[in-house]
Amino acid sequence: MANKKQTNRFTSVAVKPTAADHSFNFVVDVFLVLLLIIIAVPLWSTITLSFRPNDYIGNNLEGMFLAPWNWSTAAYKALLGNAGFILAFGNSIKILIGGVATALLLTIPLAYVLSIPSLPGRRYLNLLVIIPYVFNVGMIPSYLLVTNLGLIDKLAAVFLPGAISTYNCLIMRSFFEGIPNELKESARIDGASEIQVLILIILPLSKAIIMTIGLFYGVSFWNDFFHAMLYLNSNKLQPLPILLRNILMASGMNEYVEVNAFGDAPIAAIKAASVFMSAIPMVIAYPFIQKYFTKGTLLGSVKG
Amino acid sequence: MRDIKRHRSVYVLLAIPLVYYIIFKYVPIFNGQIAFKDYMALDGVLGSQWVGLKHFKTFINSYYFVELLRNTLMYSFGKLVFSLPLAIILAIAIYESNRPRLRKVVQTLAYLPHFLSWVIMYGILLALLAPGDGILNDIIKLFGGKPIDFLTNTKAFPWIVILSDAWKEMGWSAIIFIAALMGIDPSLFEAALVEGANSWQRVRYITLPSIRPVIVIVVLLRLGTILDAGFNQIFMLYSTPVLSVADIIDTWVYRQGLLEFQFGLATAVGLFKGVIGMFLILGSNRLVKRFGGNSLY
Amino acid sequence: MKKQCIVCIALIALLSLVSLPLFSQGTAEAAKPAGPVTIELWYGAAITEAGPPPADWVGFQIIKDKLNIDLKLTALPSNESDQDVKVQAAAAANNLPDLFMVRRDVLTRLVPQGLIASVDDMYAKMPIRTKTHYDEVSRSHARFNGKAYGLADPGSIIKNEGLLIRKDWLDNLGLAVPTTTDELLAVMRAFTFNDPDGNGKNDTYGYGAFQEINNYEAWPGRRLEPIFGAFGVDGTWDMTASAAGLNLFKPEFYDAMAYLKQMVDEGIIDPNWLAYKKDDFRAAWKQGRFGIMREQNAAYAAQANYAPFDKNFPNGEWIVIDAPKGPKGHASIGPYTANFRIYAISAKAEKEGKKDKIAQLLEWMASDEGYYLLGWGVEGVNYTKDANGVPVAANLPDANLAFSAPGGQTVTQLRNMVFYNGDIELYARYPKYVTETSKKEMSALDVMRIMQTKKWTAAIGSDTLPIPNADLKRFYEQGLSEFITGKRVLTKDNWNKWLDEFKKLGGQDWNDKGVAFAKENNLLY
Repeated sequence: MANKKQTNRFTSVAVKPTAADHSFNFVVDVFLVLLLIIIAVPLWSTITLSFRPNDYIGNNLEGMFLAPWNWSTAAYKALLGNAGFILAFGNSIKILIGGVATALLLTIPLAYVLSIPSLPGRRYLNLLVIIPYVFNVGMIPSYLLVTNLGLIDKLAAVFLPGAISTYNCLIMRSFFEGIPNELKESARIDGASEIQVLILIILPLSKAIIMTIGLFYGVSFWNDFFHAMLYLNSNKLQPLPILLRNILMASGMNEYVEVNAFGDAPIAAIKAASVFMSAIPMVIAYPFIQKYFTKGTLLGSVKG
Repeated sequence: MRDIKRHRSVYVLLAIPLVYYIIFKYVPIFNGQIAFKDYMALDGVLGSQWVGLKHFKTFINSYYFVELLRNTLMYSFGKLVFSLPLAIILAIAIYESNRPRLRKVVQTLAYLPHFLSWVIMYGILLALLAPGDGILNDIIKLFGGKPIDFLTNTKAFPWIVILSDAWKEMGWSAIIFIAALMGIDPSLFEAALVEGANSWQRVRYITLPSIRPVIVIVVLLRLGTILDAGFNQIFMLYSTPVLSVADIIDTWVYRQGLLEFQFGLATAVGLFKGVIGMFLILGSNRLVKRFGGNSLY
Repeated sequence: MKKQCIVCIALIALLSLVSLPLFSQGTAEAAKPAGPVTIELWYGAAITEAGPPPADWVGFQIIKDKLNIDLKLTALPSNESDQDVKVQAAAAANNLPDLFMVRRDVLTRLVPQGLIASVDDMYAKMPIRTKTHYDEVSRSHARFNGKAYGLADPGSIIKNEGLLIRKDWLDNLGLAVPTTTDELLAVMRAFTFNDPDGNGKNDTYGYGAFQEINNYEAWPGRRLEPIFGAFGVDGTWDMTASAAGLNLFKPEFYDAMAYLKQMVDEGIIDPNWLAYKKDDFRAAWKQGRFGIMREQNAAYAAQANYAPFDKNFPNGEWIVIDAPKGPKGHASIGPYTANFRIYAISAKAEKEGKKDKIAQLLEWMASDEGYYLLGWGVEGVNYTKDANGVPVAANLPDANLAFSAPGGQTVTQLRNMVFYNGDIELYARYPKYVTETSKKEMSALDVMRIMQTKKWTAAIGSDTLPIPNADLKRFYEQGLSEFITGKRVLTKDNWNKWLDEFKKLGGQDWNDKGVAFAKENNLLY
C-alpha cells in the first residue's frame, strides 16, 4: 500500500509537500530527539549505577562515563543468587497471568455493555460504575472484605480487588463507542445477539485497545506491592515487588549492619539492578504489544 | 419484544461484572460506614459506636487543613495541565514522525521510566540535583553560579515534583493516546490532502479532534480523583524543610490515620475526597455534554 | 423484565461466591485438631532482603519433633511503616497472628482494643529465657495500666555509636583533635576549605549527617546529637528530675540551633545532609566527602562496611573522639535508652490456648540448641566453634554458607529472637580482622568498647513517653528545619514567637503529659 516515493505516509494521494509540511516534520523530529536525550540521560546514569564496583569514588557525573571494562556485574550476580528471587519471580508470573485473564474477562463485557447506546438505564449503570471509583474508602474496608471472603494468604487476593479498574473500563468503553455504528447495527439487524456482536464485530477491531488495557492491568499487578504486603503471609507466596521493596528499603532498619546480604556489590548498585531485573518482563512485552498498534485498523471494515 | 430478547444477552454479559462490582466495590463502601464510627476491631463494622461527623471535624479542624488542600490541588492540577498535554504531544509526535526508527526508540524508551519506583527516582534526583555534588549543580558551579538546594527548597520543590512526574509518566500516559490515534480512519487524511491542508492543519483539524473523546474521558476521570496527588511520589521525595509545600492530604492521612490506628479518620478523608471528586465529575460532565462531547455517563 | 434481571443477578451471585475459592491458590490453613499445634509467627527478619528460611530448613522439623509445633513464619516488611500498616490492618480485622513483632507505638494503640494478651504469666513459664532476656527495665517497657503486654527482647546494644574524625586529615593539616565547639568549628572550616585530602579539589566538608529522627531523638536527629549535646540539649526530653521537660523549651536549645545554623551558613557541613538518606550518607563517608560524623560501630568498622573505605583511602584513618565541650561545659554523644524489640501475643492466641506452646517455643529458643541453631545455623555447615566456644566462620566446606556470608543469612533470620548481646554473640558478630589494602587490624567490638567510654546522656525510658499528634510533630520538625534553611530567620524574637505558637498548638500539653508520665513511672534521674 505504501509508496516510498510519497512524502506523506498516511495516504496514497501524492501531493507535493509545502514549506509548512517541512517545518512540521522538523519540529516533530526535534521534539522527539530532545525528549530522547532528556529520557535517556538519567536512565543511563541509573544503568551505570547498577554496574558500579564497590570501591567507586568518582562523582555522579563521572559515573555516567564509567568505561564498560570497569563495570562490575556483582549486583546482578548477587540478585540472581538470592534464594527468593526465582520463587518470587514465579509468583509474580502467576499473579500476572491470573490477574490479566480475570481482569479482561470481567472488563470487556462490562465496557461493551456500557457502550450500547440503546441500553435501558445506561446512565444509572454508568453512575454505578463511577461511584466506587470516586469514593475510595481506603485500606481497612477492603481488608475486611478480603478477610471475610477467606482470601487472606491466597495469590488471588492480590489481583481480585483490582480486577475491574473503572478507569480502564471507561477508557475501553470510549474506544468501543468509537467503532462505527453501522457495523454493529448491521449485525444486529441480521439478528445477532449482543454476545455475538461483541465477539464477532467488536473484539477483532479492538485488538489495540485490548492489548493496551491488558498491559495496564498487567503492569499494575506486576508492580503491586501494597496488596501483596497486606494479604500474603506465607513465605512461598511472596511476589517480586515484596522482594524488591525489601531490598530498596533495606537499610531503613537493618541493625545487623555487620553483614552485607549481597556480598561485594554496593547497595546503590543492588537497588538499581533490582529495578531493572524486575522490569524486564514488562519491557520485553511492550514491543509485542506495539505490533498491534497499526494504523487505520478500521480501514477495511468501514469501507467494505 | 425483539428489544427485550436482544437485551437478554446483555444481562448475561452484565451479570458477572455486576456481581463483581457489588462484592468488591460496594461491600467496601458499605464497610466505609466506619467513617462515622469509632471503629473497634473486636466489635466489627456493625457493632462499633456511631460518632457522627467526629472524624470529618478532626480532619477539617487540622492546623494544616487549608495548606493540605492547597498543596494537593496544586500538585494534581499541576500534573494535569503539565503532564497530560505533554503526553498528548508526545503521542502525536510519535504518530506523525516520518522516521520509523526514531519513533520506535522514543516510544520504547519513554515507556521505561514508569517502572522505576520512586525510591530509585529519588536516587536519580539526588544524583542530578543534590546541592553538594548533583550534576546540575556541578554545571551551575562550572559557570560560577551558587549551587541550589533543589530538593529542600520550598520554591523549587513543587517543580521537582511536577517535572519528575512528567518525566516518569509521560511515555506511559501517551500509550492510551497512541492507541487512540491508531483508530483514525486514513480516508480522512486523504480528503484533507485533496483539499490542500498542510501538516499543521491536518493535526489541528483531523488528528486532535479524532482523539478528543479519549482525551475528554481521561480528563474527566482524572478530575474524579483530583485529591489524589501522588502519595508514593511525595512520600519518597519530601523532607522536613519543604513540608509546607509538600504535605498533601494522603501523606497527612498516612501519618495521622493509618500509622495511628485511626481507620475511621482515614476512611472519612477518603469520603471527603470522594465528595469533591464527584462534584467535579458531575460538573465537568455537564459542561462536556453542553458542548456536545462524549460524556462520561 | 426487572424480575428477570434480579433473579439472574442473584443466581450468578450465588454461583460466583461458590466458585471464588477456585480462583485462589496457596496454603490451606485448616489446622488438624490431633496434629501439631500451629503457631503463626510474624517475625522481624535479621536481614529481610536476604530472604526467609527455606521450606526445608532443619529448624521446622526440630520444632515439630521436639515441641509438637507447626511453625508458620511470615517475615514482616523491611520498613517500619510498612510493618505498622501490615500489623494494624490485621488487627483491624481481628486477624492477628499468634506471636508477632510490633513497635511500641503500635502496641499502645492495640492494647486498648483488647487485641493483645497480657504476658505477665509468661515469664514464669520461661525461666531460662527470662534470666537472659527480660530484666526489670524490659518488663516495664511494654507495661500499660500495670500489666505487661509485650515481651521486650534486648535490641541493639546501648551506646554503640561514636563521634568519629579523620585522623589523617588532622595530621595533613597539622591540627589537633577538637575538644570544644569553637575548636570543632575551626577544624570543620579547615576540613572544608584547606583541602585536607590534598587532592587539589575543593570537594570535602567538615561534618556529615542526615536526618534520622525517632521518639527520643527529635529533629535534627541522631547524627547531630553531639552538637546539641555540647549545649546540654541532646534528645527530645531532659530526663533529669530538676529540669524535666522538652529540651526545646530551654534557652540553650536556641544556642545549639544558632551553632548549627552557622555550620550550614558557612558551608562546613555537607550541604547534602538534608537530602541524604541513610545509604547515601554511608556511601558518602566511604568516598571521603567529610571528616567528622556520628556513626554506628559496625556500620563503620565491620569488615564488609570498612572494606570500600579501606580500598579508596589506604592511608585514611578514623578515630573515635570525645564529644566536644560547649560554652557551659556540657558534652555528650547523645541520649541513650535501653533498646528493645517487642514480641506480642494476640488475645486470639490466648483464647485458643496457645500461650503455653508459645512459651515452650520461646524457651526452647533460649536453650543451647535453639540459641545456636537460630543464631548461627548448623555447626559444621554455617559455623564452627573456636577454642573459646565462640562461633566462627572458619574451616567450613562452603564459605558462602557461613553465618557471616550472604549464603548463610536465610537460616539465621530469626536470630534477633535469641540474641541478648551476651559475650559469645559479640565476639562472633564482631571478629578481629586485618583489612585488605592497608593491613590494619580492626575490630568493631574494640571500637564499640571505646565508644561506650565516651560521655552519653542517660535517658532510659524516654522512648516510652507520650508522643505528639501528627500535626504537632510536623510543626515541631518543620519549624526547626525552616530556621536552619533560612525560610524562617533565626532571631531570639522569631524563636520565641514560634515557641509560643508551638505551645499553643499542644506543645505545652505534650510537655506536661510527658513530665507527668516520667514522674509516675520513676524515669527521672
